[in-house]
Amino acid sequence: MMEMINGLMNTMLSNQVSIPLIEPMLDMLQGIPMMGYMIALVLWKPFFAIVICPGLTVGGVSLLFFPWIERKLCARIQWRVGPHEIVWWLGGVIQILADTLRFLFQEVIVHKDAHKRYFLQFPFLTFIAFLLPLLFIPAGNIVAIKTPYGLQIVLLLLCLFPLFVMGLGWASNSRFAYIGTVREAFVYFAEEVPFIIAALAMIILYKTSDLTLMASEQCIPGIILNPIAALTFFIAAAMATSRMPFEIAESDQELCAGPHVEYSGIAFGLIYVLCYEKGYIISGLMTVLFLGGGAGPAIPYLGDLSGAFWFILKTYFVMTTLFVLRTIYPRYRLDQGLKIGWSPMLIMALIALAVSLVEVAVI
Amino acid sequence: MKMAAETKVGEAEWEVKIPEKKLKDRLFFENLKAMVIDTQLCSRCLTCVSICPGGLLVNEEDVVDFPDFEDKCLDCGACVRVCPRYDYKPKSGLGDYIEFTAGQSKRFKGQDGAMGTEFIFSAMDMGLIDRGIFVDRDEQWRTSVFHVRGKEQLEKLPLGGTKYVFADILPELKKAVTFTKKGVGVVGTPCMVSGVRKLQEEFPIFKEKVKLVVGLFCTENYHYAEVSKYLIGKGVDFSKLIKTDIIKGKFVATMTDKEVKFKVAKLDDILPSGCSRCTDFTAVESDVSVGSVGSAAGFSTTVVRTETGKEVWDYIKKMGNAEVGEGKVEELDFLINHKKEREKNIQL
Amino acid sequence: MSGMKKVVAPEYNLSDKIKTHAYAIGTAMEESVYPHTATVLYPREKKKMPDNFRGYILFDPDKCISCFNCSFVCPANAIRMKEAPNNRYYPTIDYGKCIFCHFCIDSCSGGALRTTKIHDVAYKDVDEMFTSTEEMIEPPEIIREDKKSVEYVIDETDLHLKRKKERDGLFVEAVPPVEIPMVSQCVDRGSCLACKICERVCESGAASSVVEEATMTVKMAIDAEKCTGCGLCVKECSMQILRLVRVRK
Repeated sequence: MMEMINGLMNTMLSNQVSIPLIEPMLDMLQGIPMMGYMIALVLWKPFFAIVICPGLTVGGVSLLFFPWIERKLCARIQWRVGPHEIVWWLGGVIQILADTLRFLFQEVIVHKDAHKRYFLQFPFLTFIAFLLPLLFIPAGNIVAIKTPYGLQIVLLLLCLFPLFVMGLGWASNSRFAYIGTVREAFVYFAEEVPFIIAALAMIILYKTSDLTLMASEQCIPGIILNPIAALTFFIAAAMATSRMPFEIAESDQELCAGPHVEYSGIAFGLIYVLCYEKGYIISGLMTVLFLGGGAGPAIPYLGDLSGAFWFILKTYFVMTTLFVLRTIYPRYRLDQGLKIGWSPMLIMALIALAVSLVEVAVI
Repeated sequence: MKMAAETKVGEAEWEVKIPEKKLKDRLFFENLKAMVIDTQLCSRCLTCVSICPGGLLVNEEDVVDFPDFEDKCLDCGACVRVCPRYDYKPKSGLGDYIEFTAGQSKRFKGQDGAMGTEFIFSAMDMGLIDRGIFVDRDEQWRTSVFHVRGKEQLEKLPLGGTKYVFADILPELKKAVTFTKKGVGVVGTPCMVSGVRKLQEEFPIFKEKVKLVVGLFCTENYHYAEVSKYLIGKGVDFSKLIKTDIIKGKFVATMTDKEVKFKVAKLDDILPSGCSRCTDFTAVESDVSVGSVGSAAGFSTTVVRTETGKEVWDYIKKMGNAEVGEGKVEELDFLINHKKEREKNIQL
Repeated sequence: MSGMKKVVAPEYNLSDKIKTHAYAIGTAMEESVYPHTATVLYPREKKKMPDNFRGYILFDPDKCISCFNCSFVCPANAIRMKEAPNNRYYPTIDYGKCIFCHFCIDSCSGGALRTTKIHDVAYKDVDEMFTSTEEMIEPPEIIREDKKSVEYVIDETDLHLKRKKERDGLFVEAVPPVEIPMVSQCVDRGSCLACKICERVCESGAASSVVEEATMTVKMAIDAEKCTGCGLCVKECSMQILRLVRVRK
């Protein structure tokens, strides 16, 4: 028994996140019985990646505050004030917390025609499925699962999203949700192909599909090496997260809410944060592919966290850019969105592929 | 509110003559009440009601009355100034006339020739007047005042025919005078004609605005409540009644199926006291007098008395609005004399 | 359809497109750093209102001449005249009907009605919106939370908010009524009844009458020096022979 635990401890200790800043505190905590095991577990890189960064903690915080940041920033650009009345001297910072509480205590209405079981299960399933790609995205050198096929797996998991969203619409069994679902499906098809081709261009450029390697071996960021791929990837990301110029399926003003028109209460709350979760994941992927991942001036006090810090900073920047798009562009019609997806973006993606091939051949 | 010409700042003064009070130290209305109303001389022409500035004189159940006059009377003397019976100078006979003739309107259907209506509307066509006032009646032969504000009201014409019942013509006349632009034409009984003349004598505004006064031949008027009760007793059905007339001392009520006749003398019991002191049959003071007596059936006897009346009558003839008949002066003599006999009732 | 004009989208070439996109993004970035807020944070800030702002209406019974002009002119029929204990008629306003056109204030010949900058009055129910004369004399109870006043400034290019750390006064001096140089005059003196209604209604003592018993005449007079041109006698004259006429100076 003890041998097993010691073996496990050795495995964990050999792969620890080192943070010089909190080491004195950790040394103090070592004196408390059993605390050594706990610290070892938490600081074990795969566990740390899942639970803290870039996993649940950082993800959760961004889910909690990005809606607020988006609303506040868009309001500033549009000469408004944004969330204001709740803790007004801090600019309504806990607005989303209040919204979440409201969603929690609201009744979840399941209408008569809905497929009750799926209707209630899909929001939670979707939420969990949306978290899976985080396992493969490295924040600096912290990653949960290190595999040479990281990018392919992430792309595969991203391609699962539409299935779940369409499942939401299907379980609602409502004509409005159905229309929204069909529109969503169209947009996904238009966006997935250029998205995947742009990512493939980067695999060709870096000659690897291991996300950790991709991030750490970028001496020049990918956005400079292949800007066309970066642009294609960014527009496709906007389409994939249903942000404003491509908010075709949801289109609040005309169609209410797209696939999730029938949802209310906490089920709706979960779906509401889905697009922010998706935005977080795709922004993280974009940071790894085009912005050098956790590359940046090393901060000695943070140790391993230095990479994670730069990664999160860049990810938040990409997310913010994605969200601010809504103040700049009006929404496209469905046909315009599809046209953009299938012609200019596909051509751009192919050009990006060609650029990568040429660069690889030259260098 | 129209703006008149510009004026200079300064005090504007004017004098108004008020009549002598017969009863000193009493209000003017008390004078009127003592001299006219209480002596049964009042003919209910309602001239006083129309002129009262406070609008407080009222015609209540066919008696002119002023509730609370001690408090509310402004004591301006207007009622006394305009009352035709205050200094009563009874007129009788046929009076002066320019033309004695008869006519039958082609546009309107009345009891006889409907010439009263024709005169008002022809004057309106001429542009002499823009408002006219008639007496209207309903199915039960109750009277009401018909105020014509334009030619387009030709379609809903008043029901013509002699009504031996009072109507509030003159209060409506004052309203018309206040609002008219060109002038007002009025159709009324001899007592009302005297009232209009008295108003015109006293007030230039009436002289200026009342252009045409058509008088009606009048033997007497009755209060509706009393006369209707009497006629129903005689077997008259108001819904079938076509016309009422007085022919040679007999009251004739013609209905669709039968006629009821009885002597006028029998109505003396309900004859109002004012009428029993009236001697004017042909409305001597009017511009044109109209009536059924003195011409063939279907024609109205027309007595044109003044230049204004002559102008309108010439216009009617020129436009061919009426057929011209023949008037017989001698046929009027009986009724003129019948009313002249009433002079003996007057004790001044 | 002939005569219909086809709307053609403006044509942009690639460089134009890139320029417009760059301009849009640049504006967004600029605004996110230095925003021009157009929102007034109402209870804590208040917009600065001009002096002729059409707000809650106050009433001064001392200046009222009971001419009924306000209730006659009111297009929403919100003003009713009610008899006060001193037998005078004073206006009452039903704020459920009032459309705040302030014709009443413009028409007030005595300057008894005046505007304020109060525009946020709360009522418990509809019946309470009927404001009696007594309630119109004093302003309603006011709780002020605002610390700043905000002004919209339109400069050459855009509209901006200018915030000042001062409270905007709610009350405005009553604008003295426009002196219309009009006096009442009798246009048909012969038709005068000498009913003396003009003397009774005249507030300024311009119309007067003297009865001379000896000659049985009434001397009527309208003093144009005293006449304010309120038009009360013109309205009340039973023969409608009085008119308002313009004064030549």
